[in-house]
Amino acid sequence: MTTVMLVDDSATMLMSLKSILTKAGYTVETAGHGKEALDKLGKGVKPNLIISDVNMPQMDGITFAREARKAPGMRFTPILMLTTESEQSKRAEAKSAGATGWLVKPVAPDQLLGVIKQVLPGA
Amino acid sequence: MPSLLRKLTTNPKGAEEHRPDLEAVATSLDPVPAYCDVVDGHVRDVIELTGEAAQAIVEQMVKVDSLAEVMAGDVVQLAGTLSRTELELGQVSYSNDQLVSRLIAYFLHRDHQIRTLVDQMRELNQHVKEIEEVSRATNILALNAMIEAVRAGDAGEGFSVVADEVRKLAHRSAEAAHGIGRSIGDLTAKLDAVLSDDSQFDRSQELPPATEETAMTRRLSGIANAQREMSEMVAGILKDTVGAAEQVERSSAALTAVTTGAVGHVQFQDISRQMLEHVMDAVADVRRQAEDVAAYSRGALTEEELGERRISVEDLRSKHVMSRQRSTHAEQTGGSAQSDVEPLIELF
Repeated sequence: MTTVMLVDDSATMLMSLKSILTKAGYTVETAGHGKEALDKLGKGVKPNLIISDVNMPQMDGITFAREARKAPGMRFTPILMLTTESEQSKRAEAKSAGATGWLVKPVAPDQLLGVIKQVLPGA
Repeated sequence: MPSLLRKLTTNPKGAEEHRPDLEAVATSLDPVPAYCDVVDGHVRDVIELTGEAAQAIVEQMVKVDSLAEVMAGDVVQLAGTLSRTELELGQVSYSNDQLVSRLIAYFLHRDHQIRTLVDQMRELNQHVKEIEEVSRATNILALNAMIEAVRAGDAGEGFSVVADEVRKLAHRSAEAAHGIGRSIGDLTAKLDAVLSDDSQFDRSQELPPATEETAMTRRLSGIANAQREMSEMVAGILKDTVGAAEQVERSSAALTAVTTGAVGHVQFQDISRQMLEHVMDAVADVRRQAEDVAAYSRGALTEEELGERRISVEDLRSKHVMSRQRSTHAEQTGGSAQSDVEPLIELF
């Protein structure tokens, strides 16, 4: 079973994305911000993919991506940033922090699932 | 607001002369924080209400999805059951056809056997005629022997007795052969009648059982045809029902795809929430500036401090994160909207 961790401070986004991914057959873990997600990784949650917002309270998505890469077994786990942010400098920052891709909200469900298949071939 | 400050800070008439005016300005600005708080509250309400609505929409969509999936599952199950029933019906119909065909073949075989029997009876009748012929010849021989015995006189008396007995035996043989022949003839005629005319079965149920064979084959064929027609009709209904079930299944899948798309559109709430939060930040900046101006007017803030804390439209622009916000900002400030060339989806 492929597990996707969703990190977003919007309950609506978490609910919406969880619904889409669950229907597509993925197991979903959620976190309301980067720190909570990092805590879950520290407690042994091992997602096959992380989809994270960028602008969040407590810990933003780029910092989270950077910290998540240091967690055991997370070096090669794909991390997609899903955000309203469209600034190029932020993309470059996310890339250097270890993010795998950048998606600007709103993203259509079939596009999102297509990207997931790209970064998780065979899942 | 900045233009008002400019006027106040660059007034050549001097600050002392305008103190009463500054107090009036401060007093006018005093309600602004409360005003901004109310606006802030209203915006928060909008965020909260749209958030609740968006979550309710997602929940409803998830329920619709679940129902559609259950319905699709039920329909698939029904289609499977109907397909199996159609298959089984075809098998039963085929078995019935085979059974009826075998029964018809059986009765035809019996019919053939009876005809053979009738033919054999006709042959027996021929043998009986031969016996009758032999008996007639024997009788004549006995009569001749009697005549010869009379002619022989006393010496032929014993022979006369024997000849008489032979004549009697010939007579009895002739009668027996005649009787057998008559019986065979009757029997043959009846069998012929049965084989040539099965309408007796239709006229009476009390007719001899021998008449059932030919009638039975005809009736079995009728039953087989009726059963076949019935099976074809039921198979047609089943096929139509399976087609309808498959259509429902396709519609259900389409419905699920639509609800998934609808759930995806709920992201609008997160986007509008962030836009409204920026509006709230801007309102908070205006609030702070109103407080600063009031404080300056009352001498609680220096002109330098006021200048350092002054808000600007450029500051507002730097806080935008969405290309839509930037283009709207450009439109409102008379600047050129920078086209967003970055792809919406990018894998590094």
